[in-house]
Amino acid sequence: MVRGGEVQVVDLVKRFGPVAAVHGINLHMPGGEFFSMLGPSGCGKTTTLRMIAGFEQPSEGKILLDGEDMTGTPPHRRHVNTVFQNYALFPHLNVFDNVAFGLRRQRVERSELQRRVGEALALVQLTGFEKRKPVQLSGGQQQRVALARALVLKPAVLLLDEPLGALDAKLRKQLQIELKALQQQVGITFIYVTHDQEEALTMSDRIAVMSNGRVEQVAAPRQVYEEPATVFVADFLGVSNLMQVTARGADAQGHCRIRLEDFELQAARGDTAVSGDTKATIRPERVRLEPHGSTGENRVPGTIERAVYLGNAFQLIVRLCTGQSIQTLFQNTGDEMPYAQGAAVHVHFPADALRVLRDTGARAPTTDKS
Amino acid sequence: MTATSASLALAGNRSVLRRVRDWLGNPWGRPRFLVLVTWAYIVWSIVPVLIAIQFSFNAGRSLTAWQGLSLTRWYWGDPVDSVWADPTLQAALLQSLKLAGLDMLIATPLGVLLALGLARWRGYLAEASNLLMLFPLVTPEIVMGVSLSLVFLYLFDFIEPSTTAQVLGHVTFSLSYVVVIVRGRLFSIGRQYEEAAADLGATPWETLWLVLLPLLLPAILSSLMIVFAISIDDFVISQWLSCGADCDTIPIRIYSATRAAPLPSINALAAIMVYFTIGALLIAYFLFRFLTRGERAAGKAGRSVVADMGGFDM
Amino acid sequence: MYPRRLWPAFAMPGVLWLCLLFLVPFYAVIAVAFGTVDPIFLNPVPVWNPLDWNADYVLQTLTGFLPGNDYWRVFIRTTEYVAISLALCLLIGYPVAYYISRHAGRTKSLLVALLVLPFWVSYLMRMLAWVNLLAPEGYVNRILTWAHIFTTPPDWLNGNPYSVILGLVYGYIPYLIMPLLAALDRIDKSLLEAARDLGASPFRAFVHVTLPLSKTGILGASVIITLPMFGDYYTPNIISGSPQTSMLGNQIDIFFHGGPQPAIGAALTLVLSVFLGVLMIYYMLTVAKASREAQA
Repeated sequence: MVRGGEVQVVDLVKRFGPVAAVHGINLHMPGGEFFSMLGPSGCGKTTTLRMIAGFEQPSEGKILLDGEDMTGTPPHRRHVNTVFQNYALFPHLNVFDNVAFGLRRQRVERSELQRRVGEALALVQLTGFEKRKPVQLSGGQQQRVALARALVLKPAVLLLDEPLGALDAKLRKQLQIELKALQQQVGITFIYVTHDQEEALTMSDRIAVMSNGRVEQVAAPRQVYEEPATVFVADFLGVSNLMQVTARGADAQGHCRIRLEDFELQAARGDTAVSGDTKATIRPERVRLEPHGSTGENRVPGTIERAVYLGNAFQLIVRLCTGQSIQTLFQNTGDEMPYAQGAAVHVHFPADALRVLRDTGARAPTTDKS
Repeated sequence: MTATSASLALAGNRSVLRRVRDWLGNPWGRPRFLVLVTWAYIVWSIVPVLIAIQFSFNAGRSLTAWQGLSLTRWYWGDPVDSVWADPTLQAALLQSLKLAGLDMLIATPLGVLLALGLARWRGYLAEASNLLMLFPLVTPEIVMGVSLSLVFLYLFDFIEPSTTAQVLGHVTFSLSYVVVIVRGRLFSIGRQYEEAAADLGATPWETLWLVLLPLLLPAILSSLMIVFAISIDDFVISQWLSCGADCDTIPIRIYSATRAAPLPSINALAAIMVYFTIGALLIAYFLFRFLTRGERAAGKAGRSVVADMGGFDM
Repeated sequence: MYPRRLWPAFAMPGVLWLCLLFLVPFYAVIAVAFGTVDPIFLNPVPVWNPLDWNADYVLQTLTGFLPGNDYWRVFIRTTEYVAISLALCLLIGYPVAYYISRHAGRTKSLLVALLVLPFWVSYLMRMLAWVNLLAPEGYVNRILTWAHIFTTPPDWLNGNPYSVILGLVYGYIPYLIMPLLAALDRIDKSLLEAARDLGASPFRAFVHVTLPLSKTGILGASVIITLPMFGDYYTPNIISGSPQTSMLGNQIDIFFHGGPQPAIGAALTLVLSVFLGVLMIYYMLTVAKASREAQA
């Protein structure tokens, strides 16, 4: 099994004409990691992946593989392989010849070639499919052939460009699990591009959230979700319940004092030293609803605007008396919905769940701090 | 007729008219009016040619009066006037095939290279070249005929009107057709297969040979057939660059014979040309279908074989 | 991925060929048109240097185009034939293309194959077929006398403009229907369904949705047949063979094949090319404007 596969992206810029698709990003992926680049369409994630693969030349910056600069190396000489979004299986070749393609370019000797192709197909559970043509395979099977074709060459890094996008939801979930298991089994670096935040959260060791050609945050899934560094990250992953507040810096305990209209709140998370107009966020599942009239810090009165039954959970949308709409989430434990539509409640934002963010005007971090 | 019965009759007529209009209009299904027009057009389009081919099997010498069926008289039976026996007709047939063959051999590779180059080259020169490639498609043949015969007379005068000149002319107008067809196929393939090949370690040349060319094969084969068909059918360029009787092609023979008391052997000659071209077309069609059957099943390129081969998107 | 220079290198042979055998010959036409005539042998002498050009023959030709003069009449006649033929082609071809595109369903492949058939029959054979049918004892006259439409049918094959128009329509209509069909196929069917859903009758949906959307297609297909039609000379020759129906192309043909002044012929060719060039530019500007509007 191959180890290694450390990738470094240094000050990478890509311009198409006057427009910059990638604005000078820096990423460092140590070997053996499942690393995802997550963001909406046009954020530069696919462009970055294609630059690592070699299909696009960077306008500025460097790409290093295991310490070696491969920015000027053409794709057929880089020790990375790609799994394409539409699989790109050669239609005029059968499964065996597809998988053997790269090995034949390396002039691998016949018996070893047979052995390695057999191993690769076994790895993706497609033994026996050698003679089939791509058109005779289902989407999921084609995906696996594409994987086998790339992995048989034992690359240091595997690049995956939204490989599950063309599959239906159930198959996607199944393949997500298989891909993760595969990566752990083979042990090489996977660099995975997706716009589906759930996919990134489930599979990755670390996620780089990107927007408009810049990296907003790089961290493990849990941190990216629970400790978003910027407004964009907070909003992109899950529901963010963003509130416009005025911050007044940290108090003695290190909590940030923030003012939501007439209400004084304390936020224990995020950039607690910030002052001025900024945003605060809290995840729906951390908001507590208490009967109207409850007292204590971080409580704001409101009314239940809408109560939605989600099957495994209840979603209660509360309209605060200050005007904001807050989404809350309660697991369905078999009891009735805690509050009905129109009920008056007090909304409690626990201080250590309330996060104050640097507003979008500030520079988002472009350096990976891991 | 009383007023009542007259107005009743009128009402009856109106409802008949409305019924006819409704039947023709058929708002829930296919408008029958359009069906009629379409099939009428198809019949009108094909029947005259069928009649002409029919008369190539005429037992007698008339082109307007059917005198019985003779399958072979005008093709090879008649010892004097049949296509087989008449040396001028044979020569025309051979010349047409020669020109078409040479045209295929030269225009197709040249056109494939040109298509690849134009599809991927960027910049002002590339756009100008693309425009240059499109011009022959919209230039009237007489302009091309005049210009080529003048240039061979005054500038490139080392080339006489001859088979060589005719081949040069044919290739010139065939090139654009090849480019349009191959480029169409190129666009529907996309870059993905070549990127995959490079990703897997293939050098640029290996990618071209092992991946791009096999994928372009259907387009190359249809180009061959289409070049054959348009070359065989060409009249104007062949006539303008002709050296006389030795260089005459079938269309030239037909042209000169048509107004001069022709025999059914002319019909036979023209019919032979039809058999050749339709044969080439069928080969191209079935080959294309066979080679892209994989992609069709996957719902990708090749959905409309005729559109892919015809390449009518300029 | 590929070396940058590869693609221009691939294109070079073809581009060179087209320059040498398409552009240069066209310049030869210009050189002859603006050239002189050898006084002894009466051969045209091309003048290659623009500074030495002799405008006599071109001017002579252009005056021929002034209203009332020879070429003017031929030009008007040609324009009439082309316009009428184009109108007839559209009148017949649009419904056919529309039907096949919109309603054909399972029979579509068969119909398209039948449409394509005329392409692969030599143009001359198709004209030959009509010459036989329109002959004095041909089927057309036989049917006409049998149906008592004419007692003595007119001579179709001698200077009859109707026959020429029939020939032009018959010959060129396949070249109109195919691009038109392709353009109609590209119209999003859901737009029409939306129109019907919003209450438009089939006729109104056609007039207000399909027709405007097919405008560029109609224009493109019309250009594809109009330009060659202007230069057609063999159709009138085969079908009519009389100077009464001669088109511009015939004039050029006469001057080169048996006429005394190829310089005039070259000048005529030049005039024809410029005229068609103007049409072509008009078409391209319209398409460019339409696509800009579509994107806005």
